[in-house]
Amino acid sequence: MDDHDHNDHEHDHGDHDHGDGGHHPRPASDAELRTRALEALLVEKGLISTDAVDAVVEMYEHDVGPQNGAKVVARAWVDPEFRRRLLADGTAAIAELGFGGAEGSKMAVVENTPSVHNVIVCTLCSCYPWPVLGLPPTWYKSAAYRSRVVAEPRAVLAEFGLEIGPEVELRVWDSSAEVRYLVLPERPPGTENLTEEELTALVPRDAMIGTARALEPEAVR
Amino acid sequence: MTDRAIIDRVDASLSGAAPLPRDNGELVFEEPWQGRALGMGVAVMDRFHIPSDEFRTHLVAAIRAHPQTPGESAATAYYAAWIEALERLLAERRLLSRPNGETPPPS
Repeated sequence: MDDHDHNDHEHDHGDHDHGDGGHHPRPASDAELRTRALEALLVEKGLISTDAVDAVVEMYEHDVGPQNGAKVVARAWVDPEFRRRLLADGTAAIAELGFGGAEGSKMAVVENTPSVHNVIVCTLCSCYPWPVLGLPPTWYKSAAYRSRVVAEPRAVLAEFGLEIGPEVELRVWDSSAEVRYLVLPERPPGTENLTEEELTALVPRDAMIGTARALEPEAVR
Repeated sequence: MTDRAIIDRVDASLSGAAPLPRDNGELVFEEPWQGRALGMGVAVMDRFHIPSDEFRTHLVAAIRAHPQTPGESAATAYYAAWIEALERLLAERRLLSRPNGETPPPS
């Protein structure tokens, strides 16, 4: 247990409740009051809107990381040499694109093929390849996903709308503080003429967790 | 609307000198105001096309002026400095000195 960074996971993130946090009985700090006052002033003067602030907070939750992962996947799709390096040493290849963690945890990339489908989980807590995927979705941390995806992966994936045929081998990868997995989804058909940048738009977060496929080009038009 | 490019830029720009507080890679917001502070800063930079390096200069100065004190968490100290940096940036750019606002102190 000691080598598994459990205490990193115990807290839920305060950024989810937009109110003033009823679980903090102590009076608002000076910084909190200044923050509220400044937001009120900026909004009153029409310099920014509350919605704009909300949008940024939301994006930090959902979009910052996955975009990095999508760049890794798109590069692997267009550059066979990069793909080879990525599968051999995920951490090093991902670092080539400028992404990596300060914590030194290893990232391993597992490749989907017509005969193998991979999905990642952290059965103990919520270890996650954050430098490439950002903040984990709430369901990834849920006890239900963590236990069920191991026991009945096909059923869980079907609930995500992903049907995996019986002829396809399903591999479930249990992430830990030492190794975090990233799924390299299959490149969708009909994407031969797309640029690397266009391809990144076809890689949603869940495709890199393994609970979805990459999108077909028609889906993002 | 804010696009993610600016968020990536801000994150990358701060990563060396004044990185956003993270815990196991996840951004740490111990209290909602910290998320608001971050969102406000990014929204202001986006809206007024302010280079993230310019904000970083203020942030680094604010962190230096008010280092983390005993009993204060890293995230609280960081976002307190963040708000101060944002106030300084707004003052320097005179963004708040519009008709019905207070005049920022001369810097």
